[in-house]
Amino acid sequence: MSVNEKFSAIRKGLLELLVLQIIAAEKVYVADILKQLSATEFATQEGTLYPLLSRMRREGLLDYEWKESEAGPPRKYYELTAKGREQLRETLEYWGQINGTVKKLGQK
Amino acid sequence: MNKVITINLGGNAYQLEEGGYDTLRAYLETATAQLQRNPDRDEILSDIERAIAEKFRALLASHKTVVETKEVAAVLAEMGPIEADPGEAAAPGASGAGASSNPGGQKTAGEEKAAGSGGTPRRLYRIQEGAMIAGVCNGIAAHMNIDPTIVRLAFVLLTIFWGTGLLVYVVMAIVVPEARSPEEKAAASGFPATAQEFIRRAKEGYYEAMKGFPDRKARREWKRRFKQEMRAHADQWRYNWHSYWTEHAPVHPGMGFALPFLSLLQGAATVVWICAIISLLATGAVFGLALPANVPTWVAALLLLIAYGILVGPLKFARRACYYGLGRPRWAWSFVFLMDAVVWLAVVATLLWLAFHFLPELRDAVHTLPSLAHQAVDDIRTWWHGK
Repeated sequence: MSVNEKFSAIRKGLLELLVLQIIAAEKVYVADILKQLSATEFATQEGTLYPLLSRMRREGLLDYEWKESEAGPPRKYYELTAKGREQLRETLEYWGQINGTVKKLGQK
Repeated sequence: MNKVITINLGGNAYQLEEGGYDTLRAYLETATAQLQRNPDRDEILSDIERAIAEKFRALLASHKTVVETKEVAAVLAEMGPIEADPGEAAAPGASGAGASSNPGGQKTAGEEKAAGSGGTPRRLYRIQEGAMIAGVCNGIAAHMNIDPTIVRLAFVLLTIFWGTGLLVYVVMAIVVPEARSPEEKAAASGFPATAQEFIRRAKEGYYEAMKGFPDRKARREWKRRFKQEMRAHADQWRYNWHSYWTEHAPVHPGMGFALPFLSLLQGAATVVWICAIISLLATGAVFGLALPANVPTWVAALLLLIAYGILVGPLKFARRACYYGLGRPRWAWSFVFLMDAVVWLAVVATLLWLAFHFLPELRDAVHTLPSLAHQAVDDIRTWWHGK
């Protein structure tokens, strides 16, 4: 089992955090998010992202607004709500703790 | 040579090779099955369709109008399979069995029809999708399986001739419950919950789907839903345009003051127009301006109507620009339009009242109107037979 396969569950779980972080920086639409993720280990596809985004919206973490695009159908631009920012802060904090634990354990 | 199928994705038409169409349909059907338990199913599906539409758009150019089968496959590979979101409770039957067993959602037209006549109890609801006001007419139309326009027309006629339509409407708007859940929506039209599939089909192509329905009733129902869907697209587009306008329009406080003034101007124009029509019918001349001998009265009336439209059009547009320039939230628009309509009606009524009291000629003209109307009808009849 390669490292890549082993960590697929962890990547899946972390995707929400990364999406929160990307949206926190600026208003983006799905293609922007995919592009930013594509260069990383978290490269993903629309088929995964749309269900995730719609659940996050249902949970009140983010919101979107419609914008006309110069060509083609209108696009949804996503932004974080206050609740989303709070969640991002909490998750980052927790992630920092986990990182600390990983580094600390087993060292004398 | 390959057969080409036209589909509707996100409100735009695309032409696909037949093989590509089959691939796309299979993809969307699998997606529907995967999202069976997802409360945002419809929204995710339309997001996905919009994304596919955008990718198709990028492939096409003026000399290339058809998306080839292999291009469809490439686009769908890029989209990736619709995965159940890890944060979502797993949808039983969808993720495990995959696309081979279709839990609901993908019945053929025949099965669907059988389920429909099997009798979902039909109840009267108000239906908000594609509604004009409160969805009363829409609900009645669905209940009786006829075109909502007919019901609306009936209400308008009832209001004009007996004055009861409005009252009945208001009472029904309060008493009749609104169809909110999918089950209620299904009961409103007597079709099973899989009626959502009709909308899915509408997106896959009007004429293709048309062939799939075995009987007239199902076809009519489908047509109705297709129209509704198209109207919703138009509304969405208009809404986008409005929000764009509110963001970018120059906001000037003077616009608020210009509004009633513009309404007044438009009201005055209407009164002048009404007087012109009356004077035309009564004297055969518009404010003393005689018609050429060979122009029938009704042509002149039509010309007046067109002239009125040309005159009032820019006024209307300017008024709307004022509303959006004021940057109102969406819910306020209907209120503003109502207020404006009331102001407009009041102006017209007042001016007409004044005209009737201070211009005896106008009053006389109105008294001779009925006989003139008969004469106009006779004119049209002789003109028609003369032709």
